[in-house]
Amino acid sequence: MSGGPPFGQSWPAGAGQVGDSPARGRERGEDSGVISRAPVVDVRSLHVRFGEVEAVAGVHLEAYAGHATALLGRNGAGKSTTMRVLAGVVPPTAGSATVAGFDVRTHPLEVKRAVGYCPDVGGLVPRATPWEHLQLSARLRRLQNWEERARDLLERFELGDVAHRVTTGFSHGMGRRLSVCLAALHEPEVLLLDEPFDGVDPIGVDATFDVISDARSRGACVLVSTHLRELAVEACSSVLVLRGGAQVATATSGEMAGEEGARAYRSLLD
Amino acid sequence: MPTAASSTEVRRAVRDVAHLVAFRAGTVRRPRAFAIAAAVFVGLTAAAAGVPTFVDGAGSYRGYALDTITILPSAMAGFLLLAIASAVASGGGRELLDREHAVVHPVSPTTDHLGALLLAPLNIAWLLQAWILLGATSYGVQRPFLPFALLGVLLWIGLATVIGQVVAWTVEAIRRRDHGIAVVRSLAVVLFGVAVLLQLSGRLGTLLDKFPTTHLAAGLVNGFSGRWAVCICIEVALVLVAVALGAVPAHLAAHRTARDELRVESGSYPARGLPRSPLAALVRTDRGSVWRAVPMRRGLAVLAIGPGVVALAGNLDWAQMTILPGLVASGGALLFGVNAWCLDARGGLWRESLPVGPGTVFAARAWVLTEFLLVASFTTMVLAGLRAGLPDASELTALLCTWVVVVLQVVSSALRWSSRRPFAVDLRSARATPAPPLVMVGYSTKLAVTTTLTSLVFSGLARVPHPELSVLVASPFLVWSMIRLLHARDAWTDPVQRAKVVTTVAA
Repeated sequence: MSGGPPFGQSWPAGAGQVGDSPARGRERGEDSGVISRAPVVDVRSLHVRFGEVEAVAGVHLEAYAGHATALLGRNGAGKSTTMRVLAGVVPPTAGSATVAGFDVRTHPLEVKRAVGYCPDVGGLVPRATPWEHLQLSARLRRLQNWEERARDLLERFELGDVAHRVTTGFSHGMGRRLSVCLAALHEPEVLLLDEPFDGVDPIGVDATFDVISDARSRGACVLVSTHLRELAVEACSSVLVLRGGAQVATATSGEMAGEEGARAYRSLLD
Repeated sequence: MPTAASSTEVRRAVRDVAHLVAFRAGTVRRPRAFAIAAAVFVGLTAAAAGVPTFVDGAGSYRGYALDTITILPSAMAGFLLLAIASAVASGGGRELLDREHAVVHPVSPTTDHLGALLLAPLNIAWLLQAWILLGATSYGVQRPFLPFALLGVLLWIGLATVIGQVVAWTVEAIRRRDHGIAVVRSLAVVLFGVAVLLQLSGRLGTLLDKFPTTHLAAGLVNGFSGRWAVCICIEVALVLVAVALGAVPAHLAAHRTARDELRVESGSYPARGLPRSPLAALVRTDRGSVWRAVPMRRGLAVLAIGPGVVALAGNLDWAQMTILPGLVASGGALLFGVNAWCLDARGGLWRESLPVGPGTVFAARAWVLTEFLLVASFTTMVLAGLRAGLPDASELTALLCTWVVVVLQVVSSALRWSSRRPFAVDLRSARATPAPPLVMVGYSTKLAVTTTLTSLVFSGLARVPHPELSVLVASPFLVWSMIRLLHARDAWTDPVQRAKVVTTVAA
């Protein structure tokens, strides 16, 4: 994502211009990975309408390999719809969105091959087991020797014991954790995590951090949509704030961290 | 644990039902269509009750009119059986408010019971039987006596519905006890065995003659009299008692865990080998979504076996049997097919992000629905054919053609509606339906009319000694249904339409 001046609305006075210590920056891995020149995710003037409702109203976004970008904003800000567009689930009404070099409108299958997507709601087929979810993904993506990684992911997210139970009876947190596993199984070029921390216990949060970190270190582009600022700045290197379907600011995660970052974030939401 | 319905509880429940009805009415997506449907319902009911009396020979106590009066008690008993079977199959009747949405509200089991009673008529089988009963009364009874008879029959329809509800709650309360499922299944087998024995020994008719509906009908059809008044008073009293009584097993059932749901959700499903192709993988996932769902398993058992047993008892011939596949296929589609994409529920978004063409996804869903309907209707036909002897070539060809034609008709209609009007529903409980009750009535009416008319065509062809004629007539039906199925596929493969469906069912 561009680290330049914010798109759309500029920073409110005194908000978001916050420095951060190099140590915290390293913790978040801001200096890890190599930024390629071409963005892996390139969104320009994206609009999505559902009837009379404009869910996304002109979002610009660039995200790069080896970096994690957070989409922050209140409920209904357009984060999830943007993620759905990038996952190839919802076609854009206007504007363009390119993922891994493929236009989501004209090459949705190629986009889906490149992407690992954890949706915001549920994301699980109710009467299928976690292992059956993984099998389906592996089959449709033509994965070879995926079982070991699948077992490892399930163990890391403490889902090994329930691998053969249908997901209907899962708690919300278990469902979220499994959704992250499914998104990460095939080591995608672009990892899209929509509200991955919602209702997840600390062990699940740590495991999700590890997945994000692993993805970045192998050069994947990661986008994390959440309304939890603290976790977003912890997991990501840059932040894009959406409000009312449009973006209102971009910043480094350092600028959005700490007390001053919190104040800046609140002022952007109001 | 309070199980009795105190007067305060009943008053509160009645008020809550009114609130819930108002809420549901406010969420009707197409108020104009709703108003038209209500007008049609009232019109058809009035027509069923009022038109037959003006037909030649009506109320003459001769010929068909006499036959109608003679079978009225059996028809009333049949309605009772239908009401019981329908309520038992749906695990206590339909929900005025989905369980998932109701959990945050103080909706008592009494409210749930009254709501289920209110929704019971929103079922095509119930409606058809009720109209037939009213029509038979109107045709068989002399016009001066008709208002009195109709009042009595209407009360019987209400009473049978309430009794069905009481039995359904009781069965549900038993099912949720230790070994309850085994007890209920054993009871069903015993009842089935007794019915078969009675039928085979020729004593079923005698038993039906001794059914209380014989005395009731006799008291209702001869105009105003002391006996009529007594019958009406008994019916009213029984309705009130049964409504109150139903709250007791409803409370008992509500306080126990649904074991069949629990078994599905906590059971372990061992890993199988990787499917050979993407289509096979999708079919396997969809099959799991269907066969592991409690409403589908229970509904299929009732649908496949119920009509087959009735046909077996009625000793239908092969030509009459052509009516069965359409009936069962329509009922099967109403279990999930009319909102087929809801099987994925909240997993729809993730599934849609998988790299597979929408055409393959559609093919898998269509195939799973088709095989579900084929299995159900085949079971019914086998049961029905047990006493019918060997069919000749025309009868067999006509029946097979009907089977294929109506299943394809139902699949194409169901998948078209699935894309056109998706709903977010959780098919977790036996009481769940894939669409709101009023929409279900519309779907079931359309399916019933289409498949019944088609079946009648082939029923006629079964009596023609040219089997090739059935194949010839089936061809245009198949081509037309296939074209409609391809249109449904086109709707699904359109990314905008598909996004609408997926985001709706995943909501």
